[in-house]
Amino acid sequence: MKHTLKYYFSLCFVFAMLLGHAQEIKDSTATKPIVTEKPKTKTAKPAVQEVKADTIVPPKTDRYGLRVGVDLYKLTRGFYDKDYKGVEFTGDWRLTKRYYLAAELGFEDKTTDDDRLNSTATGTYIKGGFDYNLYDNWLDMENLITIGLRGGFSSFSQDLNSYKIYNSNPYWGEKPSIEANQKNSGLSAAWLEVAGGIKAEVFDNLFVGFGVQLKLLVMNNKPSGFDNLYIPGFNRTYDGSFGVGFNYTVSYFIPIYKKKVIVPEIQKQAPKKK
Amino acid sequence: MKKIISLLLVFTFGLSSCEKDDICDANTPTTPRLVIKFYSSADPSTPRSVTNLRVVGIGPGADPNGIVFNENGTSTTKYLANGNTISIPLKIDEDITGYKFILDSDDPNPDVTNSDIITFNYTRQTSYVSRACGFKTIFLLNEQTTELPNTSGYIRTDDPDTGDGVWMKTLNLKTRNIELENETHLEILF
Repeated sequence: MKHTLKYYFSLCFVFAMLLGHAQEIKDSTATKPIVTEKPKTKTAKPAVQEVKADTIVPPKTDRYGLRVGVDLYKLTRGFYDKDYKGVEFTGDWRLTKRYYLAAELGFEDKTTDDDRLNSTATGTYIKGGFDYNLYDNWLDMENLITIGLRGGFSSFSQDLNSYKIYNSNPYWGEKPSIEANQKNSGLSAAWLEVAGGIKAEVFDNLFVGFGVQLKLLVMNNKPSGFDNLYIPGFNRTYDGSFGVGFNYTVSYFIPIYKKKVIVPEIQKQAPKKK
Repeated sequence: MKKIISLLLVFTFGLSSCEKDDICDANTPTTPRLVIKFYSSADPSTPRSVTNLRVVGIGPGADPNGIVFNENGTSTTKYLANGNTISIPLKIDEDITGYKFILDSDDPNPDVTNSDIITFNYTRQTSYVSRACGFKTIFLLNEQTTELPNTSGYIRTDDPDTGDGVWMKTLNLKTRNIELENETHLEILF
């Protein structure tokens, strides 16, 4: 059961990367055999220990440190979408067994071409908050299924490139779109996010993951005579103040210190449950 | 746990395949038409219905059949207005629009038919509506002036092609701001 679930877990990520990013095919397939081998060796040892270890508690430690990563979706989108350039760096710091301080920092330059409007949003953003790991790892695995909260802030420009005038009674004919080249800079927006995510360790210290975010706009500084159609970090705006986003990350964990897990009684019971 | 993982996967890929579904709602106020209401000249407070009024634009690009008033009408009747209120579009790329108002245009007897011209002079302003609708134009009719009568907000003349005299006796401008279609902008007494 342990083996199959671990295998399934890793495979999910491999498929996720394959589907989303042609660029990543080589990397993720290469990791597959390593991932599948690793659990075998790891799980085999404790199994042996457990048999004779009713009284001997194997020392268990949790590693603490900094994880830094990059969003592959934003990075690779620039290669196939000429209207988009962007990058997002992610980082988290393990505070306690389950809590992580988390932050994202990014830049986006996106041209939105709607039926009647063409606009470009360019700017940087920062998001900060925490993640809570819901996942109970076996042994020394360090995978995460997290739910978290973020506050986001973006400083950007929203340029209106061209527009059409909506005329439902075109007796005098449809008019072509009008070049505007109207620059609106110095805009800002702030929002709250509920972020769900999952990260799996595919190599030693190397994680792949993805996350989805539901966002709620709390401050939106609009240009006069126009609207913020896209906010870097928040993504597309809708009529209300809700938004959505997602990312695919590859991140590296830098271990800084270790803490012993000091709950021997629970540890004794845990093997029996399995 | 498996369920959660697969649910997250489905959710993520579901989001990434979202299509844009922005359609400009017909009820959104966009570029307004000029709303004209007809009254009886004998009793200026009583609305009076016109009979077979055809309104044809003057200048290049105008459909010689006139403005469509009933989308569901036949090839003749859809261009004919018979109520006491009509709405006519102004040009959004010029500051002047002229229309011929042909009363009883369907009558076989040419003596009954009467044609007048109204020329509108105005300034335009574009205003943002929404992502789906884009921008709209709103209009401000010029003030009536005797010094430069050619630039007045509205100018009624007889159609020189017919020379049949004017049928519109009095014109009352209710508002110079043409922003919404739910109000009357111009009253015509005949």
